[in-house]
Amino acid sequence: MKNLIYGAATISIAASLASASLADGHNSFTIGVSNTVQGNGWREQMICAMRAQALVEGEVANLIVAHRNTDSAGQLEDINNLIEAGVDAIVLNPSNPDALNSALEAAMAQDIVVVAVDAAVTAEGAYILSNNQEEYAYLGAKWLFEQLGGSGDVVYMRGIAGVSADTDRDNGFKRALAEFPDINVVHEVFTGWQQDQGKQQMFDFLATGIPFDGVWTSGIDNVIVDAFVESGAGLVPIVGADNAGFVQYLTEVEGLKGAAVTNPGSVGGAGIALAVDILNGEAPDSTTVLVDPVLWENGTDAGRATIMAAQNPNLDPEWPVSVTVPGWTDYTMEQIIACEGPGDV
Amino acid sequence: MTRAVRKHVWVLSLAVLLALLLAATKIIQPSFGASGLESVARAALPFAFATAGMAVVVIVGGIDLSVASMMAVCAVTAAVLMERMAGVPALFIVLAAGLLMGAINGALIVLTRVPDIVVTLAMLFVWEGAALLILETPGGAVADWLEAGIRGSFPFDGLPKALLVTVICVALVWVPVRRAKLGLSIYAVGSDERAAFRSGVSVGWTKVAAYGICGLFCAFGGLSLAALTGIGEPVPGPYLLASVAAVVLGGVVLGGGKGGLLGPIIAVFILRIIRTILTLLAVDPNVTTIIEGTIMVAVVMLGTAVTRRRASQ
Repeated sequence: MKNLIYGAATISIAASLASASLADGHNSFTIGVSNTVQGNGWREQMICAMRAQALVEGEVANLIVAHRNTDSAGQLEDINNLIEAGVDAIVLNPSNPDALNSALEAAMAQDIVVVAVDAAVTAEGAYILSNNQEEYAYLGAKWLFEQLGGSGDVVYMRGIAGVSADTDRDNGFKRALAEFPDINVVHEVFTGWQQDQGKQQMFDFLATGIPFDGVWTSGIDNVIVDAFVESGAGLVPIVGADNAGFVQYLTEVEGLKGAAVTNPGSVGGAGIALAVDILNGEAPDSTTVLVDPVLWENGTDAGRATIMAAQNPNLDPEWPVSVTVPGWTDYTMEQIIACEGPGDV
Repeated sequence: MTRAVRKHVWVLSLAVLLALLLAATKIIQPSFGASGLESVARAALPFAFATAGMAVVVIVGGIDLSVASMMAVCAVTAAVLMERMAGVPALFIVLAAGLLMGAINGALIVLTRVPDIVVTLAMLFVWEGAALLILETPGGAVADWLEAGIRGSFPFDGLPKALLVTVICVALVWVPVRRAKLGLSIYAVGSDERAAFRSGVSVGWTKVAAYGICGLFCAFGGLSLAALTGIGEPVPGPYLLASVAAVVLGGVVLGGGKGGLLGPIIAVFILRIIRTILTLLAVDPNVTTIIEGTIMVAVVMLGTAVTRRRASQ
């Protein structure tokens, strides 16, 4: 009797779920998504961008999302399950560049397109699509140095030593520095991408009294503005990322001259777009594709207009403000906020 | 119904449930076959060892919250050693390290008389820190034969090597223990510590041994993590809560003294195949965990209800 109940329960669950996942039929591709960090604003935006892009692509019949907090072994399990589900492409944010190769190679052996977004994988033949972190730093640093008229002292607030994104950004910053020989770095520090740590470091710099003319931050930005305001020091030009808090400051804080450089989680949507392109036989020449960031400054009318347009009260405050990747994503802001993929609507 | 069937009704029910779920998977995805079974068996490996370890300490009347951390220590130790020395001695060093860590957990519990849950909670952080000291960021290397040892089928298509490895390793440790005096002592201490003591069982040593066996299984778990990924990852994976869930679902009573290892290991496979099914059905990932939890509670509740009714008859 018990077995009967089990059986009935299993079949009824399976049946009710199966009906929900049936696709329209006129579309062709099934794409699998694997991600191992849940509950982080950047990653949630990435997932919603993937869903929204899959919806507007039109050719994606079904998007299977494996999205949970787990380790590399768990991501291997998810990728293998996606292979079993018969997907045409897998778009993943890899937990580690080396750990997933067995599953990724198995996928590619079955002609499944593999696109890693945000970070690299070492499996041969996998496509890698990420934000161009070197360009991210170069763009912001160049803007800052131009604001200072090509000469002056700046504070350089980095992320975490040894992390690839920080290393890439450092290369970009150094490239801009080489173009402006009269710019000096008076303080270089690692914030650890921690808000409180970065703020305390800025308090310390202000307390030493050594003057400086501008601040470049690796995304720990709004607390730096706070430190200036709270200590009563005169504001200098500040470069940050497109975090909601900093972007809001750019429009609201009196006397703040600043720029936000985009580091969108919506690069996930670009990953879906790339996977569909490859499935349609339009593979890029190189397996590594970099998405270039955009700079929003509050000094020009055009920049201000972009910043105002990007702010949307419906947007999750934890998300990066830039919700699209120009040239890659095709969805609207409403579609990414709705966070619905094919089969959900 | 014969006595043997009556005695193992829970394990048999779980096996039937697993068979039904496998059949359901085949219906949902007709192409699900040998390769699908292999990936389920590979995914189950670390969970199976964590669960086997947890089951032994739960049977002795304790709980070990540090299983995932011990697995991380063993995984990074294996990855670091195998980068520098031959695989076989490295393997034995890792197994010894696991046994030692488990025995330390047990000895601390016995000597300090602090409750198991408190000691192992503290040791969770200690072993986590130790793993990070051994390897700060994911890296290292794993012997090729270890990676190959869990991939593919043996001796015939459709019997995953990973399943074979699970069964052999668990049986190699547990069957001799279960048949020896130690096995009896573990169940006796778990049922009633005082009665066991009065019957002449060395309660302290039994507990240390049980925790040591748990550590040994965690070493197998860590090795399987290294074999799966080809590297060592110092940050513990989601094996603690998953192992407790599988132990309960597998029919081991949380108070101790009742249950075996077969039930929990079948439960591990049930939980893995449910995840496969939910992925195949493209269920919303936020709903997936709710469904997993609901199925677990429902099965345990159903089981309890059936057992109670039989007891009252």
